[in-house]
Amino acid sequence: MTAAPLLAINDLVTAFETPAGRLPAVDGVSLAIGRGRTLGLVGESGCGKSVTAMSILRLVASPGRIESGSIQLAVDGELLELTSLPERRLREIRGGRIGMIFQEPMTSLNPVFTVGDQIAEVVRLHRRAGRTAARARALEMLKLVRVADPEQRLDAYPHQLSGGMRQRVMIAMALACEPDLVIADEPTTALDVTIQAQILELLADLRRRLGTAILLITHDLGVVAETCDDVAVMYAGRIVEQAPAAELFSRPLHPYTIGLLAARPDADRRGSGPLTTIPGMVPPPQEFPSGCRFHPRCGYAQQPRCAAEVPPLREIRPGHFVRCHFAEEISP
Amino acid sequence: MTTAQPNAEGTAAGQRSAQEAVEPALLAVEQLQTHFPIRKGLLRRQVGTVRAVDGVSFSIPRGQTLGLVGESGCGKTTVGRSLLRLIEPTGGSVRFAARDVRGQSRAELRRLRRRMQIVFQDPYGSLNPRMKVRSILEEGLVIHGMGDRATRLERMAAALERTGLAAAALDRYPHEFSGGQRQRIAIARAVVLEPEFLVLDEPVSALDVSIQAQVINLLAELRQELGLTYLFISHDLSVVEYLADQVAVMYLGRIVESAPAEQLCRQPLHPYTQALFSAVPSVEPSRRRQRIVLPGDVPSPSRPPSGCRFHPRCPLAEAVCREVDPPQVDLAGHRVHCHVAGRELDRSGGDATAASAAVAAAIIAATAGPAAPSPPRSDA
Repeated sequence: MTAAPLLAINDLVTAFETPAGRLPAVDGVSLAIGRGRTLGLVGESGCGKSVTAMSILRLVASPGRIESGSIQLAVDGELLELTSLPERRLREIRGGRIGMIFQEPMTSLNPVFTVGDQIAEVVRLHRRAGRTAARARALEMLKLVRVADPEQRLDAYPHQLSGGMRQRVMIAMALACEPDLVIADEPTTALDVTIQAQILELLADLRRRLGTAILLITHDLGVVAETCDDVAVMYAGRIVEQAPAAELFSRPLHPYTIGLLAARPDADRRGSGPLTTIPGMVPPPQEFPSGCRFHPRCGYAQQPRCAAEVPPLREIRPGHFVRCHFAEEISP
Repeated sequence: MTTAQPNAEGTAAGQRSAQEAVEPALLAVEQLQTHFPIRKGLLRRQVGTVRAVDGVSFSIPRGQTLGLVGESGCGKTTVGRSLLRLIEPTGGSVRFAARDVRGQSRAELRRLRRRMQIVFQDPYGSLNPRMKVRSILEEGLVIHGMGDRATRLERMAAALERTGLAAAALDRYPHEFSGGQRQRIAIARAVVLEPEFLVLDEPVSALDVSIQAQVINLLAELRQELGLTYLFISHDLSVVEYLADQVAVMYLGRIVESAPAEQLCRQPLHPYTQALFSAVPSVEPSRRRQRIVLPGDVPSPSRPPSGCRFHPRCPLAEAVCREVDPPQVDLAGHRVHCHVAGRELDRSGGDATAASAAVAAAIIAATAGPAAPSPPRSDA
């Protein structure tokens, strides 16, 4: 990674205040994304990956709250602290500097406005463009994301489009103001594989041509392996492993990552007995275990150390960080 | 897989070999058709037909698993429900254990359904939140008059234990369980009736990866221990490849290709199957194939394209594909409906590997042009 990343998250803590107590969904997450890079943030449901993404744009809904940590975005040679930026300035960042793509395009698009109006709105807000110019930009964006018959689609409502088309519209909206960073939260999870292939191809192509950095949040290790430069694996509110993608998949070091990779079924594993499983289940935040949060499910855990001591995120190999006391011993 | 699939090799041959087979398939489906009317206006006049399932044939020998794969809207779920008549099929035949399912009376159907159960995708939606696990499991036993109170309790506890839950779960409500545990309850509800056949409709799709593997292992174990026969419906090719003996690929209400699982993964012949397999992202570089990106979306099943239904998206489509529905080509149990793949098979003298490679190369050559990262068409 370069010396001055585009986005640097440092020791972020986002917690939810509930009748059951304080639930730290994100508990000390640090990440950095360089310009034009793609970082994959992977984990299972409830690991805090989406809350991390929402925290960047301060979109975490009450009773959730960023408690501590810093999120710095490089804008025109200046570092903006997003956690304390005034709401008015933050609004310029959202959609202007940082675009966002959500999982479910049907619920994130407004059903009563045409697709053209919705893309144009982003442009009018951030670029102070006039009606005609904004509409022209909307048309240009639909062409860019390769929507068929863009002139007609401009006046279509979201329900008239297929899932893949709606996701293209979301991408068009996110990219309309040429942001430096796009946060894509499970952008292809609701889509069929052939449509997913189209969207991933499109994202990769746009990144090459526009130089946009992407924070890709997903549970799908295959998607990460095929699209990301770097990967961070989250478990129970913490990053447990982080490395360049090729390194992580060829040499996973954290027992959780190793378990996730081994649990994937495929034809090669046919007839070779049952799949490797990770016993138990992902703990909810009110039941996060002490010490290493993975220890109750971990085959390598040694007591009392793993239950007592939170392992630090250590650099085991160049650029390869692991949060495990015994990473060296596990390493092949 | 040597004894598999007696029928569906053309009707006459299918009937002959079915009679010859030592044991006929547990489930045999011929030309199954499930259409839904589209009604409009005050008089609810029928203005069209959704051909959700439009002539599907397959058979599953006892103890085997057929994986049915396809993307949303291809009709795979409708097939599963039509087999149990949860949705009434509009044509074709379904034979289960040598009985004609479509011809059964209500009472007979009920008895038959004890032997053919279903597990749904969504473990949140498929369990009544106001019923304790005890009532959820007991309902089927009472309906089918299986045992008195004491034996029912025994059976329920055994079913729960078999699916990896403690008998104490009986007195709890579904919301007290995680997604994976709920799916175990749904499976227990099916197996408590001691069925022979299970329709598994995307049973692990809603679960996290680490939980998915647990449930897949459970299903494999139950198949082994109870001698179950499965129809495993999924959009996830890797899960199907792992679990199924035979795989059938559906597109727009039809099966376009079917073969033994290993054969299909190694040498998919249909251009759609090839694109589908190539689109699955993989973490292992060795398994990554050159990605074939299909243009466009799946057309509506109310207006299926003429000829081969895949032709508008097929990079290899020719004039004949637009007009003529491709006949089935059968190569030692590997069946494909495609003009082009069939021709490649003829050309390579029935060598599936060569034919598969030729089709794949042709698709990649055809799709490389417009889908390449080179300047987009829109800039022109």
